[in-house]
Amino acid sequence: QLTPSSFLRIGQLSNVDLNEDVHELETELPRQRPNEIPHNEKLLSLKYESLDYDNSENQLFLEEERRINHTAFRTVEIKRWVICAMIGILTGLVACFIDIVVENLAGLKYRVVKGNIDKFTEKGGLSFSLLLWATLNASVVMVGSVIVAFIEPVAAGSGIPQIKCYLNGVKIPHVVRLKTLVIKVCGVILSVVGGLAVGKEGPMIHSGAVIAAGISQGRSTSLKRDFKIFEYFRRDTEKRDFVSAGAAAGVSAAFGAPVGGVLFSLEEGASFWNQFLTWRIFFASMISTFTLNSVLSVYHGNAWDLSSPGLINFGRFDNEKMGYTIQEIPIFIFMGVVGGILGALFNALNYWLTMFRIRYIHRPCLQVVEAMLVAAVTATVGFVMIYCSRDCQPIQGSTVAYPLQLFCADGEYNSMATAFFNTPEKSVVNLFHDAPGSYNPMTLGMFTLMYFFLACWTYGLTVSAGVFIPSLLIGAAWGRLFGISLSYLTKGSIWADPGKYALMGAAAQLGGIVRMTLSLTVIMMEATGNVTYGFPIMLVLMTAKIVGDYFVEGLYDMHIQLQSVPFLHWEAPVTSHSLTAREVMSAPVTCLRRIERVGTVVDILSDTSSNHNGFPVVESNPGTTQVAGLRGLILRSQLIVLLKHKVFVERANLSLVQRRLKLKDFRDAYPRFPPIQSIHVSQDERECMIDLSEFMNPSPYTVPQEASLPRVFKLFRALGLRHLVVVNNRNEVVGMVTRKDLARYRLGKEGLEELSLAQT
Amino acid sequence: LLQQLSLLLPALALALGPAAAGGSRRLPALEALGEAEELAEELWGAGLPGDLPELEPECRQLLADFAEGSAALTGCLGRSARPVRLCQACYRHYRHLLAQYGNIAHAVGNSSESHNCAKSILTSDRLQIVVTLSEFFNETWEAANCPNCLKNNSEGLSNSTVEFLDLFNKSLTCFEHNLQGQTIHLSPNNYTEVCKNCNETYKMLNDLYNNLQRMNRQGGESGHSAHLCIDVEDAMNITRKLWSRTFNCSVPCSDTVPVIAVSSFILFLPIVFYLSSFLHSKQKKRILILPKRIQSNASLVNIQEKYS
Repeated sequence: QLTPSSFLRIGQLSNVDLNEDVHELETELPRQRPNEIPHNEKLLSLKYESLDYDNSENQLFLEEERRINHTAFRTVEIKRWVICAMIGILTGLVACFIDIVVENLAGLKYRVVKGNIDKFTEKGGLSFSLLLWATLNASVVMVGSVIVAFIEPVAAGSGIPQIKCYLNGVKIPHVVRLKTLVIKVCGVILSVVGGLAVGKEGPMIHSGAVIAAGISQGRSTSLKRDFKIFEYFRRDTEKRDFVSAGAAAGVSAAFGAPVGGVLFSLEEGASFWNQFLTWRIFFASMISTFTLNSVLSVYHGNAWDLSSPGLINFGRFDNEKMGYTIQEIPIFIFMGVVGGILGALFNALNYWLTMFRIRYIHRPCLQVVEAMLVAAVTATVGFVMIYCSRDCQPIQGSTVAYPLQLFCADGEYNSMATAFFNTPEKSVVNLFHDAPGSYNPMTLGMFTLMYFFLACWTYGLTVSAGVFIPSLLIGAAWGRLFGISLSYLTKGSIWADPGKYALMGAAAQLGGIVRMTLSLTVIMMEATGNVTYGFPIMLVLMTAKIVGDYFVEGLYDMHIQLQSVPFLHWEAPVTSHSLTAREVMSAPVTCLRRIERVGTVVDILSDTSSNHNGFPVVESNPGTTQVAGLRGLILRSQLIVLLKHKVFVERANLSLVQRRLKLKDFRDAYPRFPPIQSIHVSQDERECMIDLSEFMNPSPYTVPQEASLPRVFKLFRALGLRHLVVVNNRNEVVGMVTRKDLARYRLGKEGLEELSLAQT
Repeated sequence: LLQQLSLLLPALALALGPAAAGGSRRLPALEALGEAEELAEELWGAGLPGDLPELEPECRQLLADFAEGSAALTGCLGRSARPVRLCQACYRHYRHLLAQYGNIAHAVGNSSESHNCAKSILTSDRLQIVVTLSEFFNETWEAANCPNCLKNNSEGLSNSTVEFLDLFNKSLTCFEHNLQGQTIHLSPNNYTEVCKNCNETYKMLNDLYNNLQRMNRQGGESGHSAHLCIDVEDAMNITRKLWSRTFNCSVPCSDTVPVIAVSSFILFLPIVFYLSSFLHSKQKKRILILPKRIQSNASLVNIQEKYS
């Protein structure tokens, strides 16, 4: 029995220990390291943890497997298919909802503003129309930004970087919650209606992923509802597979590109992949695009027509003029170069802006104000451009949704207004398909320039919005300009149809910004519905990526880095073979003995300075302090469940009737295990012993000290590990390699560099 | 079949003979061709015995009707191409032609079940000229959106169209009326009189057109396009062009100064925002965590330290 005074002593001791530790370290390093530094890209945040993709093959697991017979596993397989179908259907429905609401709200807004402009064009006082437009935009965006900034900041942006991280194995807090989905969907609607230079396609990927994560668990912690279904899938490995299906379904619904969606998941989460999973993901993708298609066709009044497979539909590219000849391929490649350069410029500008935002605009109120300002400025820029433009086109025979006359003659509309006074998706399609001569080069040039800066400024705001459509729009505008000048140079040759060049420009610009290759090629190909465009689009994207990578990296990777996420790339840095596991690992390791005192466990878990999640379990020889041989690995979450259920050796002897802990108890607590502070352990219980041998993973992966970094990296990355124990030749624990230890080595401009860890 | 061929050949020779012979004398050659045609026709009609597969007289009559009807429609379409009066001028012809085509398609010859007119006229050769012609007319009609300004069974112009055309004529008369006095002693750019006097009519016309368009869009079913019929569209187009291009009547007030003021104010706001947040907001600092590691010199050599 511990007296209160002795307990206090222990607490003091641990405090003293901690201080000494820090003190020691400081004296050890004579160079004065700055303790507090401004945010920069060379940091790894402690906020992010890994996901447990490695299955813990403890005795409970083996028992369960023995209990479930063969037919039950077959049911599990069927359940997987059912879940995939549900993911597809729900993702498609969410996409429909977004599309329909955006269409109606944006239509309402544009009609109001158009009516106002038409009224004031006659009487004078257009400045009021400008104010109305800017105020409408700013207020809608304000709502969208407030919900994101104050309720769920992780819903900001396109969500693709976050999903990329998740599939990579990083646990981004809150990323797959129902609340995030709701905020994301509302946020997207509001930011598109608010007239920002954004698209609703990127967020669909995030939405799909959240839907998948939610359905596969059969419950929602946000709603506090447990449907008691799909309990088998309540662990990180299974959830990841469904999340990749959800992301694929999202892409598929966004672009009407089921194969592109599968390849997107493949490109982003490829290290965990198998044939059956691919087939299931493809199934989910197909279901998703089909659901969207059928619901939208019913909504548009021509049921069974199935003519709108995606949120954005590039329209048909199959007439004679849209074909390309072999002579045009060098021209397309040149466009790829231009796209790469412009994309790199976009990313570089956005990098500086994002850095500034992280450093100075970190308070939610400021973020909301910034978003409102961007919305107002976007409206103003659009208005001024339309006001100054003298490019009038006959209204007859054109398919403009909201033709603005302004200073044009009656029966004509302002051509600049088709680009600015419209949702970005519609503008893209107009640029692809409007007849040659619908835009004059001056209009396109000004539009490209302005939209480039607006889109660059908008990405990274605290609103949920994607960058796909703005990139396509910029690219389509300069591509069309390029096509027009080309046909001007060649004295109106037949093959210089501007729509084709608009498409290639869009591909080049998008490739230059996001640097996706395989999936983007297929997405573009499917969105155009023309397989013969595959080759030029591939060339364009390839060139754009090569040229862009020469300057800066892709937008998503850049943002992942700026968020200080410990992201593991495909390979370890090439020049890192001289580093060994000994230098990479963290040491010393907090180990637990196989039969450990409860008090020790609680103290270790509640120690705020060491936020470890996995503890090697060593052979228990209570007498010695020496590090002993490795026996297994136990996770923080498992320990917490054990403490919560009070699975102590003494209690087991005390009451034999107490039921044994099952795997289900661990799954029920997943994924939000309670913090250690919420678990009450009395003084008596602290003296009890806890037997970990039944619950630990008895065969954790280990590496010897001499293994090189690339070797460790390969094992870690390919298996999706969270903890990798480093042992010496007597199988004694000498260190632990975790994600952050590996992710901190990076190939920079001057060779191998090491990132620092930081508290954020 | 042989018998048929032997009957055909002389007719062909008769038809081609004079034309081939008289290449230099063009007009007489044409005449000769015409004669030959008639001759061949006679031969065709008279020379064939009744039991051979031949176009029955009823069918022949139907075909001739169709030919006449299409000639009339073509003429009408061509004549009313500019200014566009297609739908008003030709809907009778079109309806007529439709009926004639319907007759051919549904007529059944009385000789036998298998040889009805529809089959022998519409589908017995590769060219199928009657079908092609009829398709062409239908497509043109659809493209012009004529059903839009006609009554349900194309039996006449719809009420709204009649109303619109009346107003259109009224405004044209108004233009003419007001221009008459001025043409002699005024420069062509000064049409203030027209603008003042016809403003009301023009406005009414414009509003009516917009109304029609809105109604059309609302009632527009999935198959119908959102366009009004070409007559109405073109009439409006002409009027609008006259009004704003020729007469220069619609001069919008351009209030550039307030627009510049408001927009520069809005464009100025972000600069203020960013400057103030740069100066006043506390820069976010990150607290570095020192990792627990075995310090070895080898690794330090490898890694270029950033913070020196």
